[in-house]
Amino acid sequence: MKPISEMNFPETLRYSNEHEWITTENGTFLVGISDYAQEQLGDIVFVELPEVGATFSAGDEFGTVESVKAASELYMPIDCTVLKVNPALEDAPEIVNTNPYTDGWMLEVKPKDPAQLDTLLTVAQYMAMLKEKE
Amino acid sequence: MIAYTADLSLTPYETAWELQTRLVAARCEDRLDRDLVLFVEHPPVLTVGRRGGCANLSASEDELKHMGVRLLTVERGGDITYHGPGQLVCYPIVKLTDLPLGIAEFVDRLEELMIRTAADWGIEATRNPLNHGVWVGNDKLGSIGIAVRRGITFHGLALNVAPDMRHFDWITPCGLPGVKMTRMAAHTADPPPMAEVKRSMRRHWERIFSVTLRGLSPETVAGYTVT
Repeated sequence: MKPISEMNFPETLRYSNEHEWITTENGTFLVGISDYAQEQLGDIVFVELPEVGATFSAGDEFGTVESVKAASELYMPIDCTVLKVNPALEDAPEIVNTNPYTDGWMLEVKPKDPAQLDTLLTVAQYMAMLKEKE
Repeated sequence: MIAYTADLSLTPYETAWELQTRLVAARCEDRLDRDLVLFVEHPPVLTVGRRGGCANLSASEDELKHMGVRLLTVERGGDITYHGPGQLVCYPIVKLTDLPLGIAEFVDRLEELMIRTAADWGIEATRNPLNHGVWVGNDKLGSIGIAVRRGITFHGLALNVAPDMRHFDWITPCGLPGVKMTRMAAHTADPPPMAEVKRSMRRHWERIFSVTLRGLSPETVAGYTVT
């Protein structure tokens, strides 16, 4: 695994303890997993995502990623409803490895309360948490 | 560092599966204060990983039902797998974030564990870029399929010590057509005794993960509950 100092963590995102990110650009809320998470997983071969319309509370399992014979659960960063799932991941799950913050987004969601994003980690807080583990 | 180990002997798959769910919850909340490495053998059973369908099942469902063999869909990674007596199954309940270890690195160590165990019987097992697990030539000796929940691993590996090889005809192992399975007993003069293989694997676990394993009774392990 590459060192945390060489990983990419965009400033504009909010992060969860479980390594998911959420962004609010252009009024759309997208959810995915961080560069750290995709590094931890290794080569991703399958992404299992929920149905459009499903509702979740923060911390709920919303899907799994399979890599190197390991199926890892994914957790929702906030209370929300799923509006869209990234259709590209069905045939090309490896884009989560190559572009975790752009083409590798997983869900578009409608937050129950957008203010809940403020409870998530900033990039500085998230990186501090990762460095504690290193 | 200390980790725990327990030998559950011959245990039905469903019993060990339900137990793992409880142990993962206990490890997550630190009620189980150390990692735990379970060793078990299962009566014949087939399991399919999260994304595997039943396309790789060769036997008919009627045939399996007649033999009392169940086909279960479980949350681990990987495709269809057979478990049965004579196969050593190891379920590590490990908090990856504490080691700290990435998932790919952890799977690599599980492969190393099987390679070194096989080497104790003079068997040269290797990794194969085709698929994870360990191989002797082009035949598969050991398989891996794990799950990770809140940073805790469960499910694990299966090493064919001396199982009834005819049972593998029920499936296309790992969903890879043309893959043949093998067992340690095919490469040794006498079948390796299961108790010795377990002892060997425990010793290699201690070296590979830099821990000392302390034994727990199956009763102690079974006592962990979900709160």
